[in-house]
Amino acid sequence: MTSRSLMLEYVSRTAYWLMVLASVWILLRGHNAPGGGFIAGLVAVAATALLAIVYGVDYARRRLPLQPLQLAVAGVLLALISGIPGAWDGNPFLTHQWWSIEVGNNVFKLSTVIMFDVGVFAAVWGAFATYLFALLDDQGEVT
Amino acid sequence: MSHADARASANNRDMLWVALVPLGLFVGLVWALSSIPLPWQLQLVWVPSLGVGLDWYIDALSAQFLVLIAGIGTMVFIYASGYMEHDANAGRFFILLLLFMTAMVGVVSADHLLVLFLCWELTSLISFFLVGFKHTDEQARASARQALFITLGGGLALLAAFILLAQIAGTWSLQAIIASGPVLLEDPRLPVVLVLLFIGCFTKSAQFPFHFWLPNAMSAPTPASAYLHSATMVKLGIYLLARLDPAFNELLLWEVSLISIGTITAVWAALLALRERDLKRILARSTVSALGTLVLLIGLPNEEAALAVIAFLFAHALYKAPLFFVAGNIDHATGTRNIDHLMGLRRQMPFTTLAAILAGLSMAGLPLSFGYVAKDVVTAAKSGTDLLALVSYGLLFVNGVAVAVAAVAAIRVFWGPANPAFVKVREVSWRMLLPPLLIAIVGLEFEFMPEFTDPLLIDAARVMAPGADIGGLIASHSFGTFATAAEVTLVIGLVLFLFWERLHRYLSGLTRLDRYGPAAMFERMLNGLTRVAAWHTKALQHGNLAGYMRLTLAVLLLLGFGGWLAGETDGSVLWAGLWSGYDQGWALVSAAVLISAGALAAPFLHDRLALLMVIGLVGYGSAVLFLFAGAPDVAFTQFMVETVLVVVAAAVLPHYGAPTRYPEPRLLNAAVALAAGMGTFILLAHMFSLPADRSLAEWFAANSLTEAHGRNVVNVILVDFRALDTFGEIAVVAFSALAAWPLLRTMRKRRSAS
Repeated sequence: MTSRSLMLEYVSRTAYWLMVLASVWILLRGHNAPGGGFIAGLVAVAATALLAIVYGVDYARRRLPLQPLQLAVAGVLLALISGIPGAWDGNPFLTHQWWSIEVGNNVFKLSTVIMFDVGVFAAVWGAFATYLFALLDDQGEVT
Repeated sequence: MSHADARASANNRDMLWVALVPLGLFVGLVWALSSIPLPWQLQLVWVPSLGVGLDWYIDALSAQFLVLIAGIGTMVFIYASGYMEHDANAGRFFILLLLFMTAMVGVVSADHLLVLFLCWELTSLISFFLVGFKHTDEQARASARQALFITLGGGLALLAAFILLAQIAGTWSLQAIIASGPVLLEDPRLPVVLVLLFIGCFTKSAQFPFHFWLPNAMSAPTPASAYLHSATMVKLGIYLLARLDPAFNELLLWEVSLISIGTITAVWAALLALRERDLKRILARSTVSALGTLVLLIGLPNEEAALAVIAFLFAHALYKAPLFFVAGNIDHATGTRNIDHLMGLRRQMPFTTLAAILAGLSMAGLPLSFGYVAKDVVTAAKSGTDLLALVSYGLLFVNGVAVAVAAVAAIRVFWGPANPAFVKVREVSWRMLLPPLLIAIVGLEFEFMPEFTDPLLIDAARVMAPGADIGGLIASHSFGTFATAAEVTLVIGLVLFLFWERLHRYLSGLTRLDRYGPAAMFERMLNGLTRVAAWHTKALQHGNLAGYMRLTLAVLLLLGFGGWLAGETDGSVLWAGLWSGYDQGWALVSAAVLISAGALAAPFLHDRLALLMVIGLVGYGSAVLFLFAGAPDVAFTQFMVETVLVVVAAAVLPHYGAPTRYPEPRLLNAAVALAAGMGTFILLAHMFSLPADRSLAEWFAANSLTEAHGRNVVNVILVDFRALDTFGEIAVVAFSALAAWPLLRTMRKRRSAS
């Protein structure tokens, strides 16, 4: 970007983290309320797009948890792994398992579903970030 | 030593030890044959849910093939360790040979039709790799492609035949099908089965009009030619026909087809052999001719024919493999296979000469050879039936050509004045001499001691003609009528040999054969296919995005109006259906306004950014619609997709300069869009006017919380009930990114270069 907008730059750095935080929230609430991995992934992509447009591709890429293609592949692998415990018990692949952990008076529910949804989230985020960087970037290497 | 040479020699380990594999198989087989009575059966579970089991059934016919596969295989492996000595890809070659051997063993041992088919196709596939082994040679690639198309195509016909057979007989077991008798013979689908079966077997065994792939397959390295394209794989069609013979030999269609196609193939290939100059191709033509004779013999209804098939098949493998080895030796030593240049090699290559003479004796059917015995039995089989005179004369000619080919391979190239170009030619190493000599000597041995082979051959013949009284070679070996036939054949052969050049010149002059023969027709068909593909790709995949949209929408339009015409349309039901289920009328109207405003503005805008915004309007309108129609998740997703799309596209577009302008028929586009919209409307209205089946929705709503511990049904479906679908989708998303990334990078390089 040749012409920079000070306001946009100032806002976008904060907005990025807020959007990523929101996306994680949307991801986690998805099981009982509108949301879920796919939508959360799209919100995260929007956050990354904001950074990429304002600060450039390299900057946005450094803010990702992994390189975009690695993120996408890691997501697919995570979803794949989440299906294995069910298959281990003789059920069909991707039969989700639930565990309850009691801490004091609170009951925390853990399940392979969360893992699967995180996989969806990462796959969407990584894949669309790859597209985004490849389309936007004019000089550097996209990986 | 250069770097490449160093690498080549590092890859180039001595491969002789690999021959231990077929040798071990051969020794084990001979031991088992002498101590365990046939048939051997073994059934293993493979895919029980589909009823496919690894069922094996080995009787004498299978055993005969196994002996050939392992025995000739041992020799081929030893030979190849010499032949491929300086080839950097020798390792690959041996792996292919081993795979091929495994697949061959599978075909002749399998009892389950699908297992047989699988191994059958595997042999075709490996043959493709071996024919195209010298992949830098364009001719080899073309030949490999041709062989693949024909043999795999025939394999598909065979699969269809197998499925029909299994349906008719109610079993996949080959043995049970052969034994099923009248159920099979009286089924109206039988002619179809037979024709499909013929296509499968005739393509594999290079029968007319599919014969041409075999001579072209000679671009494979010689050990592969000797093994696949002469001794074993091309005999698979013969094997299957022989195995099914007891079930079908009463049928006229079976008899007539096999006799006529076999005769045509034998005579045609014999004629074409006279047109060739390449020693390997001459041998290949004569192989096709021999395969034709075998098909003809299977078609003969009498019992002697069974023994004739078995004996001739055995004899052919024992003389043709050594002759291929001889051709390979000559090629290896002199660098050419053209018989115009090859002469007087006997001084430089005495052992190769000896092997050629021994094998040639057998091929010509001269006394003192196994070929003699086999030919005797074949003659006896033919005289036992009333054949058309034409067939008999044809076979006389075929045998004459066989004699002439044997003379070319064993005499012409070794005798005569020495070619000065070959002064430095030396005899090849023992690895390439032992196999042809040994096989040829074994061939002679069997003439003197038929008791070695007789038991196996008789049993194998009994598989083809159950219950027949087959005396074996010792008993059938008579000198009566045969002696005259042999003399006549020899005389014809010698005449053909002496007039070889003149015949060759005459036959080569028939250029119409090259233009209108089956091979030319096949090539034309392939070219036609490419042209059709090119035409329809150009028509459909033109790269004009608006054109794609027009086509897609036009199809949608047809569907909509088709539905209109097909259904009984009652206007009131239509409207009632549309309005039922919505109680937020104003929200719908606002969404409709958003969508219509966007859609109506689009045709009048030219600026790409402005267009993008208007289209975004349509997307947001749809999202509003979803929101009030009770699908908040979908609405949420739609909002996000629209936002990301518009933002990214707006950011990217300025980087891409002016678009390529196609002359856009704007009026047509508008008309198609309008009509497609109406078509969709009609489709949807129809859908709503039908009573909806809500059982699935109710099931998900009822089980979402209890079974999957989630209140958001949409998400529970995505991550739990239909998690496998979602997994597939994210895999597609990730793979599309993987695939798009290098493409976009190339585009970017091109952009920054220009």
